[in-house]
Amino acid sequence: MIRFENVTKVYDQKARPALDSVNLEIDRGEFAFLVGASGSGKSTFLRLVLKEDRATSGAVYVAGQNVANISSWRVPRLRRGIGVVFQDFRLLPQKNVFANVAFAMQVIGKSRSIIRDTVPEVLKTVGLEGKEHRMPHELSGGEQQRVAIARAVVNRPGILLADEPTGNLDPTTSMGIMGVLDKINQNGTTVVMATHDDDIVNEMRKRVVELRNGVVIRDEARALYTSMIPVVGQSRRFKDASGRPDGSAADPGDGSVSSQAGEAQ
Amino acid sequence: MRLAFILSEIGSGLRRNLSMVVSVILVTFVSLTFVGAAGMLQLQINQMKGYWYDKVQVAIFLCGDGSTAAGCATGTATPEQQENLRTLLESPAVAQYINDFQFESKDEAYKHFKEQFSNSPIVDSVTPDQLPASFRINMKDPEKYQIISETFSSQPGVETVIDQRQVLERLFSVMNAASLVAVIIAGVMIVCAILLIATTIRLSAFSRRRETGIMRLVGASKTVIQLPFILEGVIAAVIGAALASGTLWAVAHFFLGEYMSKQYPDTAFISPAQTLILAPALIGLGATLAGISSLLTLRRYLRV
Repeated sequence: MIRFENVTKVYDQKARPALDSVNLEIDRGEFAFLVGASGSGKSTFLRLVLKEDRATSGAVYVAGQNVANISSWRVPRLRRGIGVVFQDFRLLPQKNVFANVAFAMQVIGKSRSIIRDTVPEVLKTVGLEGKEHRMPHELSGGEQQRVAIARAVVNRPGILLADEPTGNLDPTTSMGIMGVLDKINQNGTTVVMATHDDDIVNEMRKRVVELRNGVVIRDEARALYTSMIPVVGQSRRFKDASGRPDGSAADPGDGSVSSQAGEAQ
Repeated sequence: MRLAFILSEIGSGLRRNLSMVVSVILVTFVSLTFVGAAGMLQLQINQMKGYWYDKVQVAIFLCGDGSTAAGCATGTATPEQQENLRTLLESPAVAQYINDFQFESKDEAYKHFKEQFSNSPIVDSVTPDQLPASFRINMKDPEKYQIISETFSSQPGVETVIDQRQVLERLFSVMNAASLVAVIIAGVMIVCAILLIATTIRLSAFSRRRETGIMRLVGASKTVIQLPFILEGVIAAVIGAALASGTLWAVAHFFLGEYMSKQYPDTAFISPAQTLILAPALIGLGATLAGISSLLTLRRYLRV
């Protein structure tokens, strides 16, 4: 669903690259956490998937298509296939819950009857039935994030990108949000979530991709927030593997090391 | 659905930015009024030129019924007198100064008069008999008018010889200067209008950056995102242009039609309907200016 081939992104020639020869593949229907310190390249990764930026070198494939080959007038179509959720919700304050979700359908020209049918369904999926007419300021943070998720998935994108969706929420509320994301993932949507929240990652036991200084230093299935393998050795091994152009070490399927690591718990 | 959505976006944008929109309307109104004033002056010049102005310089009017000039002792010019004048015009002594000449009969004079004064009530009280026949002469050198005048003034059957250009040209040069001033003022005002439209669109894009950001993310097309902003500027400019057209019409109707045409009944003024020819041009100009300036602004300030 998302494939990075040797992707390097340089914002500033003098500084180190934000992403450095990243090779990564996330399959259809997968749920992957993107972890790492601030500045490790998580947000750059998400921006490249959305074609908000161009990779300096290497190729980014989304749904089998190299995004570099998508002409600017077709970028909207790419983005219709990707839902995005942010830490700060980004709801429209003067619109109620229903209107906020419906907005995402209106702007791509969906008919009123389809909107009337679809929005309540999606609001039910995220657990907000009966709150259609609340305004955003009348909702708790967790509820606001549910509205944002509903808006992101109402057009049934194949991919959901979540950039620290639980960053502003307390642990209990966060778990509720994770339940919603997991449900959406169960319905077949590929979910990529950038996060700092170790409790959540440890609880969910999904695939974890760790970035450090723009390099993938860990890629484990059913993993924890911190690696069980000593970081020094781990990082060197993965750096070697992913550094090679032909290196398929970052391929989730191969993962002899990562699956071992996962089972080691 | 998408159209309804775009329209509601435009409505909310106009409401949210009301004071800026009003200022755009006023600035385009004033600038296009000056453009239109220049156009009106040119229309008026054309109107006053009448049928003959661009074709001839000198007119020899023949005696009519009520003529009192010395050469008109015998009343209306006779066909023989006409023939004499024609022969004289064709004689080498005169022919060397003129390119060609035409004879305008009373009926033709009436026809041209009706065209020129079509907006004036005077046209109803004039009959072909009251208008003099004339020879219209196109000079090789308009400065040699004096020669023609001296030769023909004293001929029998000639009421008067007039160099029409000399009379009108002074007036036209004043009017041309006035329309040049109007165009210069219009140019400055149009620059103002363009900058103001650009600023308005920028503010509008800024105040709605939340919405446009979300529209981008959910994959709204460039048209859906940008069109409301562009139309906002275009609508304001078109309203300004419509006001300018209305003002020009009012000037033609009340000032020229009701006041000036009574003060100067022998002058042909443009009709209010003629100023409406300018309206589509003004509205088109306003819409184009607004469209282009908002498009350029959006390219810089609204990423899609």
